[in-house]
Amino acid sequence: MFRHRRKQSDFNAELEAHLELETDRLVEQGLGVKEARFRALHAFGNPTRARESFYESRRWLAWDHLLQDLRYAGRTMLNNKAFTALAALSLALGIGANTAIYSFLNAILLRSLPVSDPSSLVMLRWHTHGSEMHGMGFHDDDYFEDPQAGFTGGIFPFPAFELIRQNNSVFSSIFAYQGTGNLNLVIDGQAEQAKAEYVSGDYFHGLGVPPVAGRLLGAEDDHAGAPAVAILSFALSQKRFGEARNAVGRPILINGIPFTVAGVIPPDFFGVDADLVPDLYLPMHSNLLLDAANSYSPPARRYVDPNVDWVEIMARLRPGLSLAQAQGSLAPLFHRWEITATNSRPRTDLPRLAVQNGGRGLDGLRRKYSKPLYILLALVSLILAIACANIANLLLARAACRNREIAVRLSVGAGRLRIIRQLLTESILLASVGGALGVALAIWGTRSLTFLLANGRENFTLRADLNWHVLGVAAALSVLTGILFGLAPAMESTRADIVQALKESSAGTAHSGSVHHTGLSRMLMVAQIAFAMLIVMAAGLFVRTVSNLESIDLGFNRENLLTFQLDASQGGRRSSQLISFYHELRTRFSEVPGVRTASFSNLPLMGGGRFFTTVAVAGVNPKTSKVMAIGPDFFKTMQIPILLGREIDGRDRPGSSLTVVVNEAFARANFATRNPLGEHLTLPHECEKCSIRIVGVSGNVRQGELKEDVSPMVYLPLSQGTLGPAGGIIYELRATGNPLSYIHAAREIVHRADARLPVSDVKTQSALIDNTINQEIVFARLCSLFALLALAIAGIGLYGTMSYNVVRRTGEIGIRMALGAQRKQVIRMVLGEVIVLAAAGLATGVPAAFAASKLIKSFLFGVEPNDPLTFTATAATLASVALLAGYVPARNASRIDPLMALRHE
Amino acid sequence: MSTQERLELLQGTLDLLILRTLVFGPQHGQGIARAIQQTSEDELLVEHGALYPALQRLEDRGWIDAEWGTSANNRRARFYKLTRAGRKQLLRETTKWRRLAAAIGRILGPEPEKG
Repeated sequence: MFRHRRKQSDFNAELEAHLELETDRLVEQGLGVKEARFRALHAFGNPTRARESFYESRRWLAWDHLLQDLRYAGRTMLNNKAFTALAALSLALGIGANTAIYSFLNAILLRSLPVSDPSSLVMLRWHTHGSEMHGMGFHDDDYFEDPQAGFTGGIFPFPAFELIRQNNSVFSSIFAYQGTGNLNLVIDGQAEQAKAEYVSGDYFHGLGVPPVAGRLLGAEDDHAGAPAVAILSFALSQKRFGEARNAVGRPILINGIPFTVAGVIPPDFFGVDADLVPDLYLPMHSNLLLDAANSYSPPARRYVDPNVDWVEIMARLRPGLSLAQAQGSLAPLFHRWEITATNSRPRTDLPRLAVQNGGRGLDGLRRKYSKPLYILLALVSLILAIACANIANLLLARAACRNREIAVRLSVGAGRLRIIRQLLTESILLASVGGALGVALAIWGTRSLTFLLANGRENFTLRADLNWHVLGVAAALSVLTGILFGLAPAMESTRADIVQALKESSAGTAHSGSVHHTGLSRMLMVAQIAFAMLIVMAAGLFVRTVSNLESIDLGFNRENLLTFQLDASQGGRRSSQLISFYHELRTRFSEVPGVRTASFSNLPLMGGGRFFTTVAVAGVNPKTSKVMAIGPDFFKTMQIPILLGREIDGRDRPGSSLTVVVNEAFARANFATRNPLGEHLTLPHECEKCSIRIVGVSGNVRQGELKEDVSPMVYLPLSQGTLGPAGGIIYELRATGNPLSYIHAAREIVHRADARLPVSDVKTQSALIDNTINQEIVFARLCSLFALLALAIAGIGLYGTMSYNVVRRTGEIGIRMALGAQRKQVIRMVLGEVIVLAAAGLATGVPAAFAASKLIKSFLFGVEPNDPLTFTATAATLASVALLAGYVPARNASRIDPLMALRHE
Repeated sequence: MSTQERLELLQGTLDLLILRTLVFGPQHGQGIARAIQQTSEDELLVEHGALYPALQRLEDRGWIDAEWGTSANNRRARFYKLTRAGRKQLLRETTKWRRLAAAIGRILGPEPEKG
């Protein structure tokens, strides 16, 4: 109703008018003015009640009460500054940690590709039982083990893509793509490293991405012999041309080959793989130009070879079709093709096609981070639960002290609901303060976590931001926790028997409701200890995992090694010219004072991927084996022992007889106890006719990833080209002191040799290794931090509650001491209580930890989920924290002066 | 008759009595109180103080309108008058009340002879 709101003064005036009229009437009947006024007032009843009734009818009472409650709550909080600070801080830590982790989950799990109608996008995959790999890719879903579906391939032979493109009735468009790896990009004479994506003609059309400048690619650009054009990312166009439209039509050089910029994509489009964001997009068939030197897998052959997996495929479903329908239609087609076309896969285990949801892009990031994030989320929820239990306990203690106050209020007519509401307002206000602080913490936490996860990678694309969604969750969490930890104490304290409570002489001896109070409070403490146990346990397991990983015997010496990448093939050098350039540089590096030896290889031993191929001994018995191409003195530089024969050295030149060094595992697998020296190998895929003589056997080393077992491996001289022509390589410099102090000298040497060549990825070998276990390290650090938090919060809670209990029992303890109890006995009594609580908490926590630690099994290395050592250490840690938290109150109890205590009573 | 012997108003009946009183034309609060008392032949106890919150409630619901005016003996007073909605409400309430009274009357049976 929009009528004018009536004022209280108007109402009061009306009441006064009534009294006057009534007085007038009575005076007319013959009464004296005084008597008449008195009668009028008497007949009126209670004017204050009328005014109050009007007042309440004029207002939204709930709002009024809320303001009242808030004011009251604010006063109470300010009166108990220590309590408020403690509670708000522990909540802030809990809510902040939850918000930070949640914002990552939100960014990884919920974000869709920034394209039109992402829900109709699908990606194609295949599954096999075995794990045969015949291909390569730059996205990290080329081959992987899916927990449900088993071995999974994300890349297909090009003929399979052609087959599905030409024979499908379920997709409105279908496109293929693959990364290019590092390219040397020259714009206006200025060189830089860049990454690009080879995309088939329908890529942009299929994704529904419009250009912001120029045009994007179409089918006419994607065939052999088409003009070489490139699409730039928005960021690159800004960086190098100032503005997107300035880039269109401009010439650029990619690996020395001229391309023309055709267009620029919108700023928010990052490709389909958030883990690998390209700077450029090139027509698929331009790999015929850029990858021409690749004789291991010549691009022209890749377009027809049904045995090389290399293109990722995505498609858009026709309206109304489901994933299952698409799969049902295409799987038989793909299967028929596999039977007839594929030559080297086992007939019994041909890939089975799977059509999966593609709306959120490639799931590499999700696979990598979602489970760790769920685990972290579980841990931070536990911390929040501990904080809640803490505050609930402190509130319970305080509520017991406020028993009389509340009883008085109940007895003068306050409704129980009204009081519960007021207590809840207090706890929600507390939680909101905690929540606000928590969001501030979360902003900081998200940044540091991004920094930790990125671990120095410049192109780290996982961006978690605090959007409204995340803030909403944080706000909801605050209110929820406020209700959670406030409700039970509020219910408890209003349940008190009023008469009993009022009879008590003082809060110090209050017993009413204390049975409930202590029961609930004990339960909360036991729960806290059990929760803390879970977190400490997890931290212990992760810390042990990292220490196990770090103490793995690598088989080579990781200290004092400097590594960096160089790709002289991008400068236009080919074959023998390239090889001698690499050798020359190696010689110069090894002449730097302080560098003992230098060598190079096509892969770093650790942290740079692996390369598998088929190796046949004496032309028979082909087996998959790891291979590396290396330079002279590689084993000396890496300090890998040579067990038999010799290592690769200056004698192994282009044109000299082909040689190879195998590792011990290879020798054992292929020759058992026979001497492998002088035996011959062939590489059916790379060098079918080569007969390569084994000249040495080396000790086993870990290659690729720390967690991987040692496997058969062969080392071929890079200069002999048995693995195909050289591309980019890694130099390894064994230094006498800190390897980082030789960076400048190395750069100087490269610059003098060829100023156009960028040196990249300069790192120590130790840093490269730490990179491979970065996730484990981050996990262990975070969990240790969480464990400390949990212990601190639970410890403070125990301390607070026990202290309160001691104060509450002052009288009882006084009597005991008056009757002859010794201080030691008092201490023992209080500590005994703590020990019982801790034991109960551990007893609850152990089975829970046993069950929960199985969930993190896949993140552990060299330690079982139920590792007895970790369990014992965890239990001991918790027990000592509990004892520490209980000792101060116990000592205080022992110092109670019986006389004082009894007088107090 | 002393006040103790007057009948306390049943819950909700005050509104009805106010609306009924206003049928005869605009009236101020004191007038309404007098009218109820007189018409009921002093049987009903209306605490004057309770009248005003009730008037306010009826006004808020749009059943009566109010404006300040001058009384017969030249005092300022707030006069209330029935609105169209108020008349409808009165009709509804009256019907309801009559039915209720009749039903209770039937249950209680014929009035016993005074003895």
